[in-house]
Amino acid sequence: MENLEYERLAWAVLFGHIVIIVVGGFMTVLSQSLVRALVGLIMTLFGVAGLFFLMAAPFIALMQILIYVGAVSVLIFFAIMLTSAWPGGDESGKCSGRKYIYAGVAGLVPAVILATAAIRSAPPSFLVPEETEISVLGKFFLEDFILPFELISLLLTVAMAGAVVLAFEMRRKK
Amino acid sequence: MIEAIPTQFIIIFVGLLAIMAFVGLNAVVLVYLERKVAGFIHRRPGPYEVGPPCFPHGILQPLADGLKLVGKQIFTPRGADSFLFWLAPMISIAPAIVCFIAIPFGPYLQVINTNVGLILILAFTGINVLALCLAGWASQNKYGLIGAARDISQGVAYEIPLLLVVLSVVFMTGTFNLFDIADGQGAWPWQWYIVYQPLAFILFFICALAETNRNPFDLPEAESELTAGFHTEYSGMAFACFFLAEYAYMVVAACIIAILFLGGFQGPVAPGIWWFLAKVYVLLLIMIWIRWTFPRVRFDQLLNICWKWLIPLAVLNLLITLAVIAL
Repeated sequence: MENLEYERLAWAVLFGHIVIIVVGGFMTVLSQSLVRALVGLIMTLFGVAGLFFLMAAPFIALMQILIYVGAVSVLIFFAIMLTSAWPGGDESGKCSGRKYIYAGVAGLVPAVILATAAIRSAPPSFLVPEETEISVLGKFFLEDFILPFELISLLLTVAMAGAVVLAFEMRRKK
Repeated sequence: MIEAIPTQFIIIFVGLLAIMAFVGLNAVVLVYLERKVAGFIHRRPGPYEVGPPCFPHGILQPLADGLKLVGKQIFTPRGADSFLFWLAPMISIAPAIVCFIAIPFGPYLQVINTNVGLILILAFTGINVLALCLAGWASQNKYGLIGAARDISQGVAYEIPLLLVVLSVVFMTGTFNLFDIADGQGAWPWQWYIVYQPLAFILFFICALAETNRNPFDLPEAESELTAGFHTEYSGMAFACFFLAEYAYMVVAACIIAILFLGGFQGPVAPGIWWFLAKVYVLLLIMIWIRWTFPRVRFDQLLNICWKWLIPLAVLNLLITLAVIAL
């Protein structure tokens, strides 16, 4: 009986997180000011971090906060400051209804595909998920999955080199 | 209904309440300490008059400061984004309180003993940069905006050597658990990690000063050039939130230095909590001492120190540590 109550509590917490994520997402898409949109994005990222906590993966959750909230969003903020995009800019005008439909379809299609995939092939859930140790996680990355792990870092290096090249070209044009 | 509330929940709830009390009380102590030390270094008495004769040396001054801040009117400047403007002080203070739940104040005094304690603190202290940016941006003030821009470049730059230095200690101990790191060191000073990692200690201290926006790295709020930087437009308790957060982050930084390099709660004779508090407050005193001794650096100097000295030295330190461990 008590287990059932705890399960209901877990559902409530899960839906709390989902509400945070969805509200943050809508705030990101719908707000006029870019900085407010960024705050919405951060809210979503926090919600996702909370979901990781709920799945007993505190390391991943904290990495989410450290990297996305602490670093990536700050860089986005810096980019916003450089663009000087004020709320009254040329993209702030009303857009047509068709664009809303396109945006809705573009958002819903991946969501539906991912949701069906998740529901079909989901492993049975545990009542109390087990926490994975960091050392196990490290071995997982550096022994079993070393190739994809290194490819991701290669991708980041390429992105960084590309940014440097672009910056130099911009400077030469001036 | 659930009959029993889980113990873990009660512990975290009580712990957070205690931490909030500690953060407030600590700010009161540090304000008094800061003003008195400043007075001593300037060869003047500092705050002296507040309070009846039974409270000498102006010891009630922080209380008067606090009452003034509580009583002041808070208002939104014209043209400011009021939602972000009021969100920023909250984002600043809330993560500061969360940081304390992983800190072992004594062998038995810790809210949660988690294996990811160090990462938890690094993750939540990173949010402060964001809060200061939002504050500077939302107040629609040129000083605020310049302060925010400076805060970003400073925060992002100094986070790199900070993480590298933390990594070298973590590689030595093999754990992110703050309790285990403190527990692995002995009671006497020659058993502390500062003996094995003196360079890391110095680098971490400099980075901690920069990350908490303390002098000589307080460029985001440089009062002589930017009036007050990101918090120019804030008054009353909204300003007090930033203020409390700054002092809270100072204490967090001092706690981390004490745990990583100075043995944490380890010490001969007296119980652990007193040793821990003594180490933390000595470190805080050194931070205040530095503030009133050194002039503020210029912005290019600030970034040059980081990219040309601190990051190469931190990488070198990490490589040497790895080489020693591998041997």
